[in-house]
This record gives sequence, structure tokens and C-alpha cells, in this order.
Amino acid sequence: MAEISSTSAVPAPEENVRSALNLRWQPGFNQIAWMCIFFLYAPIAVLIAFSFNDNRSVVVWTDFSFRWYEAAFDNRGIRNATLVSMQVAVVATFFSTIFATMAALATTRTEQYRGQVLAYAIINQPLMIPEIVTAVATLSFFSLIKQVTGLTGIGYLMLAHTVFCIPFAYMPIRARLEDMTLTLEQAATDLYAPPWQVFRRITLPLLVPGVVAGAMLAFVVSLDDVIITLLVAGPGETTLPVYILGQIRRGITPEINAVSTLLLGLSILFVTLFFLYGKRRK
Amino acid sequence: MKRFVIGLMAATALVAVAAGPAAADGKLNIYNWGNYTNPELIKKFEETYTVEVTLDDYDSNEIMLAKVREGNTGYDIVVPGDYMILVMIEQDLLAKVEPNKMENFKNLDPKWVDVWWDNGREYSVPWQWGTTSFTVDTEVYKGDINTLALMFDPPAELQGRINMLNDMNDVINAGLRYLGYSRCNGNQDQLREVTELLLKAKPHWRTMDYATIEKLTSRDVDLSQNWNGAAMRARADRPSLKYAYPKEGFTGWMDNVAVLKDAPNMENAKLFVNFIMAPENAALISNFARYANGVLGSDKFMDPEMLSAPEIVMPADAPTPDFVKPCPQEVVELYNKVWTRLKQ
Repeated sequence: MAEISSTSAVPAPEENVRSALNLRWQPGFNQIAWMCIFFLYAPIAVLIAFSFNDNRSVVVWTDFSFRWYEAAFDNRGIRNATLVSMQVAVVATFFSTIFATMAALATTRTEQYRGQVLAYAIINQPLMIPEIVTAVATLSFFSLIKQVTGLTGIGYLMLAHTVFCIPFAYMPIRARLEDMTLTLEQAATDLYAPPWQVFRRITLPLLVPGVVAGAMLAFVVSLDDVIITLLVAGPGETTLPVYILGQIRRGITPEINAVSTLLLGLSILFVTLFFLYGKRRK
Repeated sequence: MKRFVIGLMAATALVAVAAGPAAADGKLNIYNWGNYTNPELIKKFEETYTVEVTLDDYDSNEIMLAKVREGNTGYDIVVPGDYMILVMIEQDLLAKVEPNKMENFKNLDPKWVDVWWDNGREYSVPWQWGTTSFTVDTEVYKGDINTLALMFDPPAELQGRINMLNDMNDVINAGLRYLGYSRCNGNQDQLREVTELLLKAKPHWRTMDYATIEKLTSRDVDLSQNWNGAAMRARADRPSLKYAYPKEGFTGWMDNVAVLKDAPNMENAKLFVNFIMAPENAALISNFARYANGVLGSDKFMDPEMLSAPEIVMPADAPTPDFVKPCPQEVVELYNKVWTRLKQ
């Protein structure tokens, strides 16, 4: 993610150095690239195509229709799951972006200090540890808290999502901060602006593209999560991906294709917004 | 330290925002397999007892067990498979709600009372049960289909037209039955024979895949190992298909309703257990998911096409389904070896 926001640092390749060193001109590059694109996207294309199939089968095409989209909208399970997904994603995005911004400021806008590398490592921990480990650990930990406090509810799921969304929100924000020089902030301080005012008037406005990018990433990551949600979710807290997973054993109908297509569309929308926003700010 | 405390408080506040006190009255939380519960059944229960039901899905016994074992899931009702009931009773996860003393217990088919996973039904009641056998296209093969020979020694017209389930136990158990050996078999000589049988039959198998309905309806194969509910749905698309009841035997399985030991709504959970033993309610379950239930008299309320479906109503001369117990670890390891050789 950091690369996306800092591509301006890479100089454009000169035409005349197009040489054997350029990866694009290595033998087989195009074939391998197209093969990768095909295997990544062909299954998704098939899934989308069959969501418009006027037939119960997911292998035999008959006619074009929106009936599975209608069925999906009428399905109480899908509606509830979508609502839960949205609630959790919005809350997790809000809190994780705030925490990530605070963390990014604390790890870039200071003098070098001992333990800074350790701080990076700890913030990025959820990216490094296999998700299933985090999921099982969270499950036992929350169970213990429930035992002691007697509190139940969707708050646990929101908390878990907030935690694993933090590193995703953190990366673009930190990348943005590293691109920004301290000059403007120093100038403001010279003019006797108190620290809060410097942050409010100088740092934050410059940081907004990073924060927006971080928030969108966090939102998509929360929306897509399966493993942690599967283990942590309590009664009535089934999210959309977990709902889809639960349907698979009893046979997939194109209703699931329709929901998956909508979920995919939403993810693409956010990634596109993230990309366009980053581009515009440059 | 002060900052840490503030952080902890913020986290607690976040949890508390959406949290209420545990277990309000008039609720019931059900955790069942996906796409398995009739919404009409839930609605009827809600209206009868003015209880608000929450339904969530899982996709495997193991995921359900993992969550339940940690405790405090908030769920009241779970629907584990036969062997999983035994595991959960042994791990002390289920409440002894004694369905056998409930009002509607008299409706239960006596053959489902003394089962090995819950003898006398102290913990659980049947939800649905089914069989694992195979489906054949009777236009392609016109002879007697009720024999496992069609899979292991196929006639010319079925060679290369067979799909097996990609499941170690289902394939090996079928092989053991064909040779007349017992299940959960640790006898190395007999298992060697089974391995030879499977390896000899393998060239005649086109695929090993769970997607049986798709395989059959797309006419990719003419015989597939299959579950009875899936067989019924495949037949709707390809009427010449027939579900076999092989004379050598076939596997049966049952999912059962049970109440968790730490259920927050214990009384409502007991009401639900009693509720589904009423014939008209058991019929609602079957009409939705298309498997048989274990309640006598429920056929009066079932869809007519289910009552005549040969996949659901077993012919009188069919052998009793074999509900296979989980095997001891050393047998599982031997099975793994056989399976690995087969899949090489």
C-alpha cells in the first residue's frame, strides 16, 4: 500500500535505456502476465456471468435475468448480514482510522527514539501473524472477558475488527506523513502557533488524503474478513462473507453469485475511489 | 500506566456501546447449518411463544465445536451431526435437558431413540437424517442398480462415467462394504485388499468431487456417489436418475438438536426442543431442506412430492442405513495411508 502513495518518487524510465534489464522485455513476460490475469479473473468473470442466469444451476446457461438479485434482496438472512457487515465496517473504520492516525503521528513526527522499530512491528503485527492464530486467540480472550463481565453484544466483533484494521489504515497515513516535510509545521511553530493549532491547521489538512485512503482500506478489509469474524461473532452477528460461507455445504444457488457480485462491486468501488482520490491529490 | 488505563477504558466503552446486559427474556439464539432452517418454522415458534429468535449459520461441525468449547457464545441451540453429539456430551458441553421426558417425545420414531450417540435421548432430538449412497442414470445402465459393483466393477457403459465423493470415509467405507468387511477396520490384510480394489476401480472413475448435483445435471457423469437430498434435487433436472440402495449397505447420518450447557435462554431452548417434535413442525423442517425427520405422523403435513420420493422413502427391502461411528486414531492413520495411495 505504501508504494501506491509514493510512486512519485520513482523516476519515469528513459526510452533509450529500454534494455535487457527492463523486465517488460524479458522473454515470456507477456504470456506469464496474461496467464496470471486470466487465472485470477476468469473465475470471478464466470461468477458474475452466472449471477444473471435465469436458472437454478451454476453451470448451465439458459437466459438473462435479475431474478437472483431479487431473491437476494428478499432474503432476510442476507439483509440482516448486510446490515451487520455495514455497522461493523463503519464503526471499525472510524475507530481504527483514529488510532492509526495517532500511531502514524507518534512514529513519524518525533525525534528517533529507542524502540521505534519495535513500535512499527507491534502496530503491523496483525499483518504478520496468521489470521487463524489471531482469531483463536481473540476467541478465547473474549470468552474470558464475557465470563468476568457478563457483557455480550456486537461490540466485541467491532473491537476485533478495529484492531485488525489498524495496520491497514496505518500504512497509507504513515506513507503520507513521510512524504510531508516538517518545514510548514516548523514555520507555524516559529509563528507561535500552539501544538494543537499546528496540527489542526497544518498537519491534518495535508494529511487528509492519507487518512481517507487508510479509512477506505480499513473499510474494505473489515467488509471482507471471514476467519476472525467466523470465530468471534455471537448470535445475530453474522456478516455477509460468513453468511455466504454457511450456504456452501447445501449447494450454491446463483443467489450467492448475486450477493458475491454486489460485494465485489462494493470492494471495487472503494478501491477505485481510493485510487482516484490519491491521484487527484497529487 | 495512566494512559494504559485510559486506553483500556476506551476499549471497554467501545464494547459497552453496543452491549446490553446478557440474556434478556423472550429470546432464543439458534446456531445451525447454513440454509437448513425453514423461516416458517422460526416464525411459527416466535408467534406461539412470543420469543424473538436469532438464527446464525455454520458450515462445519468443527467450527461450531471450536466456538462452543470456548464457552459464552450466547447460543442456546446447536444442531451437531451424530458423532459430534457424542464428542460434545463427552466434553460436557451439552445440557441434559431430557427430551425423553418432554410432552412431544411420544411422537419420536422409536428407532431413533436408542442411538449410539445419545442412548435414550437424554440430550438431543433428531433434526433431519439422510443417507450417502449413489445415483445412476437408468437410461445409460438398465440392469439392477442396487449393488456397489457398479462403482467398483463397473459394466462397460458406466466405465469412465463415474464420480466419487472426494471423501476418505465415504469411499473406503463403500469399499469395505463391497468386500463384506466391517467398518472402522484395523485389519491390515483386509485394508490391503480394499486398497487393491480401489486402485483397480480408479481408472473407471472420471472425477472425485463433492459437486455431485452439478456433475450429474451437466451430464459430465452417469453415476455419482451422492447424498439422498442432493440425489432428489439432481433428479428434478435429469429424471432418468435413480438413487440406489445397495444390498451391501450404505451410510446413514443424522443432525440432532441439542441445548448448550451455558445457554442464556435455557427455558426457551427446552420449548424449542419440544416444539420440533410435533409432527406438523417436523414436517416444516423437512419441506424446506428436503431430508427426512425422525417424527412419526409428520408425513401428513409434508409436501406430496417428498412422500413419493424414492430418495426419502426407503423401499421396504433396503438394508438399514449404517451410522458409522468415529474410528480410533490408529485406524484413521491406516485409512490415511490407503487414501494417499489412491490419490497418488
